[in-house]
Amino acid sequence: MTDYVDAGQAIPLSTLSNIKGSAPATGNVDYDRILDARSEPQNWLTYYGTYDGQRYSSLDQINKENVRRLSPAWVFQAGAVGMQSGSSTYSFEASPLVVEGVMYVSGPDGRCFALDAKTGAELWRYKHASPYDVSLCCGNVNRGVAVGHGKVYMATLNAHVIALDATTGEKVWDTVAGDVRAGESRTVAPLLVKDLVIVGSSGGEFGTRGCLDAFDAQTGERRWRCYMIPKPGEPGSETWPDDGEAWQRGGANCWVTPTYDPELELLYQGTGNPAPDFDGGVRPGDNLYTDSIVAVDVNTGEIRWHYQCTPHDLWDYDSTMENLLFDAPDGRKLLAHADKNGYFFVLDRTNGELVRVFPFVDRITWGEITPDGKVTPKVYPDEEGVPVHFWPGPAGGKEWTHMAYSPQTGLIYVPVQEVGATATRRRREFKESIPYWGAGVAVDLEDYYGYVAAIDPVSGEEKWRWRNEYPMCASTLATGGGLVFQGTPSGEFVALDAETGEKLWEFQCGSGHHSSPSTYSVDGRQYIAVPTGWGGWVEGFLPGLLGAAAGDSLFVFALPEE
Amino acid sequence: MTTTSGDPSARLADGLHRQNSTGLGRLLGSGGVGHAEEGPDGKLTATIRIPEDELCFEPGTLILPHGGDIELTLINDDKNTHCAVLPNNGDNKIIWLVNHSKGTASITLDGPGTYYYGSTTGNDEGRGLVGAIVIAGEVPDEAKLDRPPQPRP
Repeated sequence: MTDYVDAGQAIPLSTLSNIKGSAPATGNVDYDRILDARSEPQNWLTYYGTYDGQRYSSLDQINKENVRRLSPAWVFQAGAVGMQSGSSTYSFEASPLVVEGVMYVSGPDGRCFALDAKTGAELWRYKHASPYDVSLCCGNVNRGVAVGHGKVYMATLNAHVIALDATTGEKVWDTVAGDVRAGESRTVAPLLVKDLVIVGSSGGEFGTRGCLDAFDAQTGERRWRCYMIPKPGEPGSETWPDDGEAWQRGGANCWVTPTYDPELELLYQGTGNPAPDFDGGVRPGDNLYTDSIVAVDVNTGEIRWHYQCTPHDLWDYDSTMENLLFDAPDGRKLLAHADKNGYFFVLDRTNGELVRVFPFVDRITWGEITPDGKVTPKVYPDEEGVPVHFWPGPAGGKEWTHMAYSPQTGLIYVPVQEVGATATRRRREFKESIPYWGAGVAVDLEDYYGYVAAIDPVSGEEKWRWRNEYPMCASTLATGGGLVFQGTPSGEFVALDAETGEKLWEFQCGSGHHSSPSTYSVDGRQYIAVPTGWGGWVEGFLPGLLGAAAGDSLFVFALPEE
Repeated sequence: MTTTSGDPSARLADGLHRQNSTGLGRLLGSGGVGHAEEGPDGKLTATIRIPEDELCFEPGTLILPHGGDIELTLINDDKNTHCAVLPNNGDNKIIWLVNHSKGTASITLDGPGTYYYGSTTGNDEGRGLVGAIVIAGEVPDEAKLDRPPQPRP
């Protein structure tokens, strides 16, 4: 037999591609610059665009008069090679960030891309190898990155937090943040505040103990951790059984990026459902700080105040979704939160005091919250083996996808899901990494719809709604052009008149939307960027479209060049 | 390999491990199990072969005691050309393996967890050329939740 042919060394797959390998160095993005992000609308510097979570850009080149001419400028396709976890549930959920013409966006399966924001050319790519057998309740997803200090920060499916060199994509540090054997993962977009990278936990369906972490932006060292389930003896522990183990698997994960008030130095973190989701018999009490809006001191990680939206949750009503910060006409510092439970909360963000609560969906049967905040459960899985139907279903009247606020109109644009579900309590024992729901759940396959609701957060009045055949499962974006952008589950990306709700434009992207669009400009040309790709927890928010086309493309739109 | 001894159902089961027998290809994950060797410096090494006309990696499942850097030697003993696209933190790695060739791959993976790799040409993956790298162990103590040890399945 002849000698073996020398096959050499394996090489990075991206070397066999047209990837450039590096991105231009941009001006440094630091805390001061993100604080003032609104003053540079050509960039989208942080997850929500600004710390207040308003998802508003003053860019107005694309406006009501010309939006009908909006066309694709370029399309980026993430693609995949080989076997990946959640290969049937992946979704392109991110919100693209843009700094001086360079776009940073994460995709499914541990991938991060730097793209030329003007042409779509791939500048560099990083892929964190994700175990195929990692526990994922809701698909192979990632909601975005943070940029700053010359780095790009990303969380991974196997619960690492990593920092990449913003010009090369090379890894700078890698910190193991959670325990994959416990069912922990990380899917959230990190938030850069001062010299800290804020990252919350995922894993609520596996009975983990939810937490919010702050890491040193330069080294990755953990600076503080804030558990959202108190240990026995800690404040709030009286809301858990004092003779049991329920607190150890209590949930309250932090899988959506917090907003931040720099004057108060408070992070506003929404927390997830208690575990088990639907079986409250093993965790009597209010179960703090599950389903809560929690104000966390950014310097210490201490909880300053909390407001619980669904005490002793029995419906999987996470409150993880964003807490949008705005100021009332009288100057009062407020916070708006549209909860899974179908109620819209307005709080004083200095102290957590309830200012107003009102329903923002049509159908609520699980219970009632009075205008003064008193919660009365009515319908819930209580008896073993007895099916119980309720609205909203466990994905909520609004899931994690975000609303937007326009200072032009004073309105908040809420993506609403009208979907019910049936839960049948089935008690089970806890085992690490095994789903811990305590029920069988079937979300309705019919009798669903959705809409974008334009809500005045000061009066609570719904000014208009744009109704759609399918629930709204993607974030809204408001712009200075008087527009609200919204993606639909059936693939259309639409522009609405922010004052009236009239549909002014649409484009069929070929796969459903479950992401957060952003806007930016390069060389004076405004772009709208939206990742598309139907996936994630479809069986939870719209099983009627479980058979719809998957995808993982990023569409970028602009007006035709003269 | 099991002995069929004329039993039709046993023969069908045995065919799961062969090409163009019970099915068209070889059932994924039906190969042998091997272990990486750990040197005194903690470096992990292993050899993976592609046997002739079997369209599989052998061992089909490679077990590592912990995550980190591993040096693989890949040998194609087949009379056809294949490749291996391997998971690796930073980017997948690819090595082209013509008939009767030998090469190496240095990859870095986190533990614990299971990673799959394959020969991404034609439908090599469907015919059986998918291998698993299974990493044992635990995450560092500082990454674990502050709670008592929990029961596992």
